[in-house]
Parts: sequence; C-alpha cells; structure tokens
Amino acid sequence: MRVLVVEDEPRLAANIARGLRENAGYAVDLAGDGEQGLYLATAQESSGYDLIVLDLMLPKLGGLELLRRHRAQGHRTPVLVLSARDEKESVVELLNAGADDYVAKPFDLGEFLARAKALIRRGKGQGSPVLREGSLEVYTVERRVRRCGREIQLAPMEYRVLEYLAHRPRAVISKSELLEHLYDFNWEKFSNVIEVYISGLRRKLDDPFPDKLIHTLRGQGYVLRAGDDPAPEV
Amino acid sequence: MTRASLTLRLLLVVAAAELLLAAGLGWAGIGFTQRQLRAAFDTELRGRLLSVAALVRYPETGRTLLFDATLLPPSRDRRHPAFYRVLTSEGGLIASSFPADVALPPPASGPEGVYPGLERGRFARRVFWHFERDGLDYRGLVLTRVPVLDTEENLQGPPETLTVYYAAPMLDFDGEAAAAGLAIGGTSLVLLALTLWMAWWAIRRELHPLHELAQQAAAISPHNWEFRPGPRTAATAELEPLIQALELMLGRLHASYQQQREFMADAAHHLKTPVAILKSTLQALLRRPREAGEYEAAAQASLQDVERLEQLLQRMLRLARLEQQADDDRVRPLALVELGASCRAALERVQPLARDRGVALRGGGLDHGSRVRADPDDLELVWVNLLENAIQHSPAGATVEIVGEHRAGSVAVWVRDQGTGIPVEDVPSIFERFRRGNASRPGGFGLGLAIARTIVLAYGGTIAVEPHPGPGATLCVTLPAGA
Repeated sequence: MRVLVVEDEPRLAANIARGLRENAGYAVDLAGDGEQGLYLATAQESSGYDLIVLDLMLPKLGGLELLRRHRAQGHRTPVLVLSARDEKESVVELLNAGADDYVAKPFDLGEFLARAKALIRRGKGQGSPVLREGSLEVYTVERRVRRCGREIQLAPMEYRVLEYLAHRPRAVISKSELLEHLYDFNWEKFSNVIEVYISGLRRKLDDPFPDKLIHTLRGQGYVLRAGDDPAPEV
Repeated sequence: MTRASLTLRLLLVVAAAELLLAAGLGWAGIGFTQRQLRAAFDTELRGRLLSVAALVRYPETGRTLLFDATLLPPSRDRRHPAFYRVLTSEGGLIASSFPADVALPPPASGPEGVYPGLERGRFARRVFWHFERDGLDYRGLVLTRVPVLDTEENLQGPPETLTVYYAAPMLDFDGEAAAAGLAIGGTSLVLLALTLWMAWWAIRRELHPLHELAQQAAAISPHNWEFRPGPRTAATAELEPLIQALELMLGRLHASYQQQREFMADAAHHLKTPVAILKSTLQALLRRPREAGEYEAAAQASLQDVERLEQLLQRMLRLARLEQQADDDRVRPLALVELGASCRAALERVQPLARDRGVALRGGGLDHGSRVRADPDDLELVWVNLLENAIQHSPAGATVEIVGEHRAGSVAVWVRDQGTGIPVEDVPSIFERFRRGNASRPGGFGLGLAIARTIVLAYGGTIAVEPHPGPGATLCVTLPAGA
C-alpha cells in the first residue's frame, strides 16, 4: 500500500510516515504544501495512492481546497483529514467536500493507523480486517498469514505483495501496479523485484499445498484466486 | 435600600394635585353657595318684609293706619318665629312682634339708595343687622320709605310711607352650604378615583417600552447579541439615549467577546499541532522496543518540541495580556524611555539569531536622544520582534537595518531588510496573529508582528509597511514623542 501524507509541519509528517511504515508496512510519500500535495495526488499514473492523509492548514493551497479539486477531477482515493478544528460545521464541511474520515489533532497514533487501514480496506471493497481467499487468511492488523490454519512466515515485502493482492482477490493486478503501490518515489523501481517476491510467495504459500492460489497471466499480471477455474474475473 | 416605584410616585403626585384642586373647588364652591344662599335669603327677607308692609291699610275713615295681622306670611322656619315691626314715617308704631329685649338699629343709619319695591324716585335707607335669640342667629332688615300699598281714591294728602323691620332666623344656612360641600367633595372623590385609575393605566402603558427594553436586555447572552427594541419603544424620544447607550455598550462587548473567542480558537488551533507532534513522536517510540540511541534522539526531539511549545505559550499569553491592557482604559504611569537605547538593547538581543542566519545588523539615527513614554520592556519587545521578523526573512549575507528619526511631536523607527519583500496582497494581513508570510518558513509562530502592533497601538502609535521600490521590506513605527 502507498500513502500520500500532505502535512507542512515536517516533524509531524515524519512521525506519521514512520508510523505508517513501521506499523502498517506502507510506502509513504510526503508533500510539504498544498500545491505539491495536489500535484502528487492527481499526477500519479493509475491512481497510485491507496490513501491520502491531508492536513487542513497548508501553505499555498489549503487542505479543503485541495480536497475539492482532487475530487472534482474524479479521483476516488480515500482521504483521511488531520484537523485541528473540531467544531461541528467544519467536520460537516470536510465530509461534504469529499473527505472519508478525519482525526482531530492531537490524535492517538494507534487510532490514526487503525483508521488509515480501515479506509484502505473499504476503498478496495473489503469489510473485515481479515482477508480470506479459499484456505488463505491474511490478518491485516497483526500482519500475519495463515493457510489451512497453519501459520506462514513471510518476509516484509512478500507480505506487502500478498496483502495488496488479497485486498482485490480474483482481479488481475499488473506488475507495474504492484510497483506503483508498494514503493514510494524515493525507490528505484525494477519490475524483476516483483517476480522475486512472487516466487518467494509461491514457495511458502502454494508449494506445501495441492491447490495453487497465485496465478500468472502472461503479459497481464497476477491473480490471487482459489479453485480451479482458470478464467479470471476481471 | 427601599425600592421606589416610579408608578407609585407619579400616582402620588397626580393624587396630590387632584386633592389640591378638589380642596380649592370645594372651598370656592362652599363660599359661592354661601353667598348665593345669603343673597337668596336677603331677597326673601326683603320679600317678606314687603309682604308685612303690604298688610298696612288705610282705614275707612280717619288717618290711623290699620295692620291686618291675620294675613302674616308664615315664618320660613316653622319652629322659630320671624319678627316684624312697622312704624309710620313719623315713628308711630303700627305693629310689632319683636320681643322687648332685642336691640333694634336706628333706621337712618344705613346707606341711602334706590331699592326695588320702595317708593319710586325717593331715597330709602336700608340696614341689615344681626342678633342672637334662642341660640339662633337672626338676620334683620330695616327699610325706610316703604309706601303703603293700599290705595284709596279719596286719599287726602301725600301717601303715607312706612319704616319696616323684619328679622328671620338663618337656621339652615350652614347645613345647605355643607350639603353643597359634600356634593362637591363626593364628586371630587369619585373623579379622583377615576382619574387615578386613568393615570395608572396611562403610566403603565407608557412605561411598557421600559419593560420591553428590560426584557430585551435580559435576553442578551453570548449566544444572542440581538438587541432590537420594538418600533414603539424605538420611537419614544425619552428612551432614545438609553437605547443608544445600550446599543453602544453591546457593540463594544460583542467585539471584545468576539476577539477573545477568536484568540481562543486561534490559540487552540496552533497549540494542537505541536502537541500532536509530541504525542505522535512518543507513541511511535513506544510501539515497539528500540535501541538506546533511538530513545535518546526521540527524547531530544521531544524536548525541542516542548521548548517550542513553551515559547508559543509565552508569546500567546503575552499577546493576550497586551490586548487586555490595550482594552483597559486606565492610564498606567509610564516612564520616559530613550528610544536609541531601547533600539540598541534590541539589537543586542537579536545578535545571536542574526549570527546564526549570517545576517548583518546595522543601526542608524539612534543617537538623537528622543524619548517616548512607554514601558521599557514593551518598547524593546517591539524592536526585537521587528528585527527577528526581518532577520528570518533575510537571506544569508544580507543586512538588516534599524533607523530612528525625530519628527515634530513624534518619533519614527524603520526596520529594513533585504529579503523577498511582502507581496502586495499580504500587506493588509501581516500584522494579524498567527499569520506567517510564505508560510513554509519554520520556526515562526506568526505572533511577533501582532505583538508589536498591539504594543504600538496601545501607546498611541502607528505601525505600517512602508511602500518602497526595490527588494526587501520596510516596516515603519511611529510613536508620540514624550514630553
């Protein structure tokens, strides 16, 4: 998962990014003002962010205006607002402008992370924090994986790839989409890195079991799907 | 303190005035009635006297006049007799019912005049007199030259004239006057009650706008600043100064309240972010075990955050106190402060910051010796804040200048920098609190210029952005020169 944090207070932005990276395993991009935030939120190809964390008091372009313009361009990325104003009107105004949730400063980091995870989940059509596909269970809160009740140990990047796939099971997910959503813009992106993680996942997740979950569609990408039906639902 | 009712007082005044009026009317009424009664009594007295005179007749033969007592008119008061006495012009007694002990006045002592019923063309005399008998006041009348009414064709010589006394008791005089007084008094009382009720009703009606004003004033609260007296109240001339005073007072209170509220909201907002930083740092630190170095780094960062928070709090409280002082109209005793010394002290204080930033400081026109009346700390804070602002907006290697100038009756101080300048659209708002020019600049709270402005305004001065060509910004402060 990849999150954009638009926050002008560098210390706060660093803390949020650290929390998201350490506790949720997300890739995080930072924007220090509204204009940069809007540029990153809208210019990313294939709607690169799974969540935008937005402060309201921003230089150059206010958070509320950023939100309005972002939504006006048709983007559906979930937006979690950091607000120091907790008066009723402003919350209503925020939600009406297209925000999905908000936390009031000074917020609890645990609550903030839980809300961030919930927003990403819902943004991808998932309700439960436990993602299931066949005999596979992905516990997104604890970041643990089980198959047929058996605990499976994954490397952090392998987990992140699996978590992304498990959020949208039975959908074809391209290699470039995976790259887009698993790395922030400070990383060099090599597509063969994904192949390395996929093969690692297959070894730990599929090899010990008779039926396979991870399928490769040549030239298109990967599908996480239980059962023998070879045709993917796209 | 006893509560005095305006209505009661007005009613008392009205009642007193009406009682005075009623007393005057009663007194005049009784006097008038008595006069009327007396006049009527006198007319009746004369009538009866003439009726007595009419009983005198000429005899069939001879010259002796006859008196026919059988046709005497009855006394007005049946229980007490009236008295009469008829004499000839020569003084011969014809008839008398006066008791012997009643002293009679001499008939000729009265004024001469022409009286109705008496002999035409000749002067008669009339005398009224009083006497008391059987505990009653009697009033008597004497008329001379009353002609004998009986006419005889064969009368020899001139017709005889008479002198007639008549006296009657004035028994029911006072009673009738009292009855008239009672009637007037009773009517007055009824009218008094009626008019008092009318006055009470009118006063209540006219005082209603006051009640309305009181209700409106009582309804004012932090949630309701609406003060709209009804049209009738607003159109009452006497209430206009009160309404204006109330509106003025409410306006000032509302502005002050609004200012406090805005300050609270601003303060809350700007305190939350540093608290959020601190809280998230510590929470992130505690989410998993860390190495000693990480704990130390986080503790250092948190300490810096707390120091920053402390600084912000100090500045906000200072600003709040200054705004309160500015609102306070009380004149504080102020010392005369030498402007140049104050500016030099400020330069001293910002020296470390300037060194950090690589900015040079320069003072000019500070040896003039001009003095202003101000609190020395406040004054120094103005220059410190302006200089800090200038330094923070200056690139390394630039120069910040503070220049004093003495003018007629005032002093001016400029602070110039060589920074990026102030965009025209930001000029009106740079002195607002929590306003940061090109906001990404870290370290500022946006309170320095607001504090400077509050102080300068409190001392009756002005602070403004000096428009000038070229790079950098110039802020100009003027203060009234101290005598």
